[in-house]
Amino acid sequence: MFGLQPRQLAAQVLNFALVLSTAFMLWKGLSVATDSPSPIVVVLSGSMEPAFQRGDLLFLWNRGMDTQIGEVVVYNVRGKDIPIVHRVVRRFGGGVKPLQLLTKGDNNAADDTELYARGQDFLDRQRDVIGSVKAYIPFVGYVTILLSEYPWLKTVMLGLMGLTVVLQRE
Amino acid sequence: MAESKIAVHSLPDLKNTSDDALAPYLTSLGFRQSHKNTDVRLALGYSAVVIAAVTFYYDYTLGWEPTKHWTAWAVAAYFVLNGVFTYWIWIVEKGVVYQGVDESGGRLTLASRTNKHDPTYHLTATYAPPLSARSQEIKASAPFSRFFHADGYLAQQPFRQWLASSVPFIGAADPNNVVEEIGRGSGGGGSGPGGIKMQSVRMGDMADVLEGLKKSGSSSGSKSGAGKARRRG
Repeated sequence: MFGLQPRQLAAQVLNFALVLSTAFMLWKGLSVATDSPSPIVVVLSGSMEPAFQRGDLLFLWNRGMDTQIGEVVVYNVRGKDIPIVHRVVRRFGGGVKPLQLLTKGDNNAADDTELYARGQDFLDRQRDVIGSVKAYIPFVGYVTILLSEYPWLKTVMLGLMGLTVVLQRE
Repeated sequence: MAESKIAVHSLPDLKNTSDDALAPYLTSLGFRQSHKNTDVRLALGYSAVVIAAVTFYYDYTLGWEPTKHWTAWAVAAYFVLNGVFTYWIWIVEKGVVYQGVDESGGRLTLASRTNKHDPTYHLTATYAPPLSARSQEIKASAPFSRFFHADGYLAQQPFRQWLASSVPFIGAADPNNVVEEIGRGSGGGGSGPGGIKMQSVRMGDMADVLEGLKKSGSSSGSKSGAGKARRRG
């Protein structure tokens, strides 16, 4: 690839950049469509077994704001950036007042009050919840668990992707 | 010009190497290459990439909530640009690998193509003479083995001879490389649309004859043959 004409080099770099940017923009497009900052999440713990296992891939929808008891929602704890997938067991307010939710993992003994931020007893639907689960694919998200548990795999994968795109012209 | 060795069984390698060899040859004949198509394609592609990069930056620094309306517009703009980019490659460029103007001002366009699993180079040459609205089109094809050595190098001389002989617009600028037919006793006129086909068939025989001569020739192996071809190129 060295010794190429500047335009050829620019075209090769462009190919690589388009692969990355298309992936990113598809993700953002999905975010816009579902109105969720993270429309696809992977279940990281077994707290929702047997409904969801570790590694299940969940598809979220965040446009129905009137969440009902029994729905499974994904929320972020304030101050922490770990999404948690649990089921709604109580709801307060709604309508004029902001909707508040209490959640619990199916496989947990107690509800989530312990998990929430200090001084917080309920989730604010608008503020904390990033979507409710609409569909899922079992197990395929396990790759990302591997990637986050072995971070060097990310580097290897990105490097391999880059190399194949830059070196190939097919 | 950098010569690179390729895998002779890889069709994309064969095609890309041949495509890349067109511009240096035509430039040496006095053609001026036009980069308009490529520049439009690069501009479209890079604008899309810049939009994605800016979106990524603001998403990373400001988060989702404050940026989501802008993100929606950026996503739309990105995919529109990407669509135009794809349209440009498939509908406008359509395999065009060279565009240039010769010394008289005529515009030459070359498009190349290969079919799956068939090592034949198909070239479509379109020439618009200066001060003329009508353009002429010539189709030519040749097996890659005519101008590739078995060891993976492009042999410039046979490649140029093939181009000059089968595409008259190039041959006119490079008469030395137009290889004469060697009569094999078969009759048939060389005029009209069929003539081109006839000629290209004979050209194939011609290459076989040359190949045969080379093999029977005293000592020149493929290595030294490649060296000779490259020195000439």
